[in-house]
Formats: sequence, structure tokens, C-alpha cells
Amino acid sequence: MTFDDEQREDLRQKFAEFAQTRSPKLRDELIEAHLGLAEYLARRFSNRGEPLDDLTQVASVGLLKAVDRFDPERGVEFSTYATHTIVGELKRHFRDKGWAVRAPRRMQELYLRLGRIIGVLSQELGRSPTIPELALEAQVSEEEVLEALEAGQAYRFASLDAPGPGDDEGDTMSSQLGAEDSNLVDAEHRVALWPLLAQLPKREQMILHLRFFEGLTQSAIAERLGISQMHVSRLLARSLAQLRAAAEEP
Amino acid sequence: METQDEVGDEVRLAVPATPEFLRLARVTASGLASRMGFTLDEVEDLRLAIDELCFVLIGNKGRAGTVDLRYAVNGDTLEVVGTGTFDDGRAAPVLASWSEQMLKALVDEYALFEDGGHTAFRMVKRRLPPPGGDRS
Repeated sequence: MTFDDEQREDLRQKFAEFAQTRSPKLRDELIEAHLGLAEYLARRFSNRGEPLDDLTQVASVGLLKAVDRFDPERGVEFSTYATHTIVGELKRHFRDKGWAVRAPRRMQELYLRLGRIIGVLSQELGRSPTIPELALEAQVSEEEVLEALEAGQAYRFASLDAPGPGDDEGDTMSSQLGAEDSNLVDAEHRVALWPLLAQLPKREQMILHLRFFEGLTQSAIAERLGISQMHVSRLLARSLAQLRAAAEEP
Repeated sequence: METQDEVGDEVRLAVPATPEFLRLARVTASGLASRMGFTLDEVEDLRLAIDELCFVLIGNKGRAGTVDLRYAVNGDTLEVVGTGTFDDGRAAPVLASWSEQMLKALVDEYALFEDGGHTAFRMVKRRLPPPGGDRS
């Protein structure tokens, strides 16, 4: 969706005027002029299992919000601003419906299989395996291994609290936690550095501690806690996402 | 493959400054690291470090603009430079203490700096020689 210079200037004037008058007629005109953008963005989300009509509707709501909130004084092009708002609205739509962008089933299966392979290979090699080694063992390409590891990032949100691939938790976890608990969280410098750490579950605090303060590798942490490396990876990623989200709150 | 260690490889990637595109930044890094023979543990560290530094640039929810990433492979060393171009006029980000603590554990070198009006990061991760056992 492109405008020629004359149209662009016309729209700029209308936005400036709308900012002053809030005229409903102008509002309608501005919305109408940008419906193409909403439709375009809706189409970009249309391969994720939602009907295009619904998405266009959601995108139009985003466009309405953008027109209402746009401040022409700020020197940002409306199309840039609106794209952001509309995409945000579309994503919220998917999130609210619980339709996180899911990894293809094949990748999820490979991810689960890799969980077991990582455990076996680490034992055999006495160190963390390389990607080519994993690919060879799983009889897939290196790219597929990398894809599957990425898929695990998405997968983690769905199933974090269930045991991960290759996990053999049982009582190991709780007994391990008990033993390490006492000297774990309350050391002062740690609290000062990571003020939000205390908000996380104990096990995740411990994994962060072992990784970032003790310098243990993910494999070593996995061994220590009796869970799989992949589970450590998922918990770490989740903890960090939570810390980031918490840090951003005012 | 014989020339891999002699010739430096460079990959460039420009992504919108929003979290969903960080996946590409991670996959590119892990793809290169995989070629270089990094172990899974090292690849995981690299992915977390890239995530962290990119999030520092773009914030948790992303922002309007782009991040240009340059990955340079040199022998056992992978260097990643990410440069943000933003049009939202936000103040330049800084590294929180816990970010620093993380990055220290994850990579060999890291820095956040201003470069001609752009905020940028640089990080370096070296492949460690394996404690025992060949990786090739």
C-alpha cells in the first residue's frame, strides 16, 4: 500500500487536523485510507489456522486504535506506527486464543528424541556432544537438529512442569534441592545483583545460581540435579524470560 | 571444508527489532557455531547470550526499528555484532547487573556501546578445546 506524494501530504494534513478537532468524519476518512494496510497485515498472519475474515476484523480494530492514538507531532510516519499497533493486536488475538505459534509435530518428535540422544551421547563421550554428532546419531541433518532445538523453545511453554525428554526426576530433585537450599538464595551480593530472583521457583533459582554464579555448564547442572540437559535449557530460558518481564515492569 | 579454518566467514542478517525475530538471530548463531564444532553446551550459551543482548537493545516487547547482525567466524572464534537502528527516540539501553553476571558466564567477551548514534553490542565466544576426545 503506497501513496503518492500528494496523497501523503493530504493525509498528513488530515492527521494534524484530526489531532485538533477529533472530527468523526475525518476519523472515518483516515481509517478508510489505511484499510489496505490492515488487510495486508491480516494476510500475513493467515497461515496460522485462523480465518482471514476474523484476522481482518482484528487488524481493523488495531487500525482504529492507531488512528485514535497517533500523535503527528512525534515525527513517526503513521504507517510505521499503525503497523506496530495492528501487529500487536493480531498477536494478542493469537495469544488470547492460546494459539502460540506451534512447532510442527515432526520437530517436536525430533526434539523429544534428541533429549534421549543427548543423555546417551554425553555419557559416552564424557562431554557435551556437538551438533554434527547429534545429527549423525539421530540420522537427520544438522539443520534439523538446530530447528528442533529452536522448536524446544516454543514447546517449553506448553509443558514446562511436566518432566522433559530424557528426564528421570523422581525424588532426586527434591532431595537435591533440600541439600543445596540452605546456602542458595540469601547471599547478599546475589540478591543485590538479581533482585527479582526470589520471585522464581526454588529449582529455577538454583539453576540460575549454578549456571551464572558457579559457572557450571547446562550438562553439569543436569547431572547434578538428575534431569536432562534439555530440561535445564528450558527452565533457564523460562526463568530469564520471567526475569526480563519482571524487570520491565515499573 | 578444508578451508573453513583458514578463511574467515561472515554472515549478515537484518531483522525487525521485535522478539519474534530473535529466533533468526539465534538460529544463525547456532548454525555457525555448529559448523565450528561447538558443543551443545556452548551452542546453548551462545543462544542465551544473543537473546540477552538483543533484548537489551530492543526491550522486552520490541520496538520500531531494525537490528543488524554481523557474525564473523575466525578459526575457533565467533564474533557477533548487533547494531540497532530505532526511530522511537528512547534513551540508550544499559546492561543491568544481572545481565552482566549472565554474560560473563556465557561468553568470552561482551560490550554494549554507542556507534554513531546507534546502540550496538559485540560479543565473542571461543570454542574450548575438548577436555578429552576429539570432536571432528
